[in-house]
Amino acid sequence: MGEWIHFWIVAAILVCGIAAFILAAAGVFKFGFVMNRMHASGLGDSLGLGCVVLSLIIASGLDLTSLKLCLLVLFMWLTSPVSTHFLSRIEINTNPFIRRHVRFKENGDRQKEEVE
Amino acid sequence: MNKRFLSWLYGDQDVMAHITDEVDRPDMSHSELKKITRQAEEEYENRPEVLEAIVNTRKRFRGIYTAVAVVSCIAMTLVLLYTISLLPQYGAENPRTMEVVSRYVEDGLQETGAVNIVSGMILDYRAFDTLGESHVLFTALVCAMILLRLDRKNQRTKYEDYYKTRTDIYFDLSGDPILRLVCAVVIPCLLLYGIYILLNGQNSPGGGFSGGAVLGAGLILFSTAFGFDTVDRFFTLKVSSIVTFVSLGFYSFAKGYVFFMGANGLETHIPKGIPGAIFSGGLILPLDIAVGCTVACTMFGFFSLFRRGSIGGWL
Repeated sequence: MGEWIHFWIVAAILVCGIAAFILAAAGVFKFGFVMNRMHASGLGDSLGLGCVVLSLIIASGLDLTSLKLCLLVLFMWLTSPVSTHFLSRIEINTNPFIRRHVRFKENGDRQKEEVE
Repeated sequence: MNKRFLSWLYGDQDVMAHITDEVDRPDMSHSELKKITRQAEEEYENRPEVLEAIVNTRKRFRGIYTAVAVVSCIAMTLVLLYTISLLPQYGAENPRTMEVVSRYVEDGLQETGAVNIVSGMILDYRAFDTLGESHVLFTALVCAMILLRLDRKNQRTKYEDYYKTRTDIYFDLSGDPILRLVCAVVIPCLLLYGIYILLNGQNSPGGGFSGGAVLGAGLILFSTAFGFDTVDRFFTLKVSSIVTFVSLGFYSFAKGYVFFMGANGLETHIPKGIPGAIFSGGLILPLDIAVGCTVACTMFGFFSLFRRGSIGGWL
């Protein structure tokens, strides 16, 4: 009985994580603009990875393997926001038609940009 | 041959000089310039023939892309299926390929002293192959240096200034506080992990190439976050050359000694150690370190050459 509950908890969290990854992949293919795609893929990087690794930790119990998995999640959650930050920064700096997609405040005057 | 080409060939006239003219902008305020550029962009994009051309190109590209993708996928699948049909059945004895593999698996631990059988293979049985691979990396670095390095002779301060003002603002990430904070946490762990992979190659998956790649990636991340000036303090062209030379020379001499003196199970006086300990596997650990140093230097050298045209600052 206890083993079955253990198995079903692991399976449910794992399926949640895989669903998040599938949603992320679908979003990356559906959207056309960089920021939207980054938003979609962030779902897989944060929620999907967290759920999958959490289920694996529950499955393996508390030992050296689960510590390694925790470190994996820690480093992924540390580094992946930084890379998306720079991706968006470079996109804003280099795309000449950025104002068609994004509405942002100017640096000097704090008024919202009018977008048609 | 026209006059202009010849004058360019002999260096009298700078053909590329007009590029730098753009930097001297007319006296116009920033917002004014922005407004004019935006208007021009919109006018150009809203012209009917331009719109039509964009739509047509997109349609044509999508058709060609789909066709090429489908054809290449089907061709790849057929080739792979055909290859699979040629393989021997699972579990069947194949005397041609199984002889060497079974020797490695059965006697590898005894003969090389390495728990990780892959390390035993690439750095003991087939060490000559790995020696060639390391030298290929070194040769590639030398070729990249010949092609890309800027020294006092062909360094052009005008273009340097131009690229600094025009592109480096966008792509230079070294001043960012977010990146610096995260890198201060991540880089020590990364380098430690690289050294662990390097030193533990004979006992667990890893070894020279993967550990060196992790170390090189750590150096690249370090230079991206804290600027090339910080890396130049300890990683100059001289350091890189000496490390690469010493690694490759040591590899060649050590392995040459074993090839000539230790063939066919002769005594080489290199202790094998206890399998599983760090100092085990005979020459595998030092060779791993040599390969790792070469790979790390090559990776960082490539990055540095492509990024700014020199290793370790201007000469």
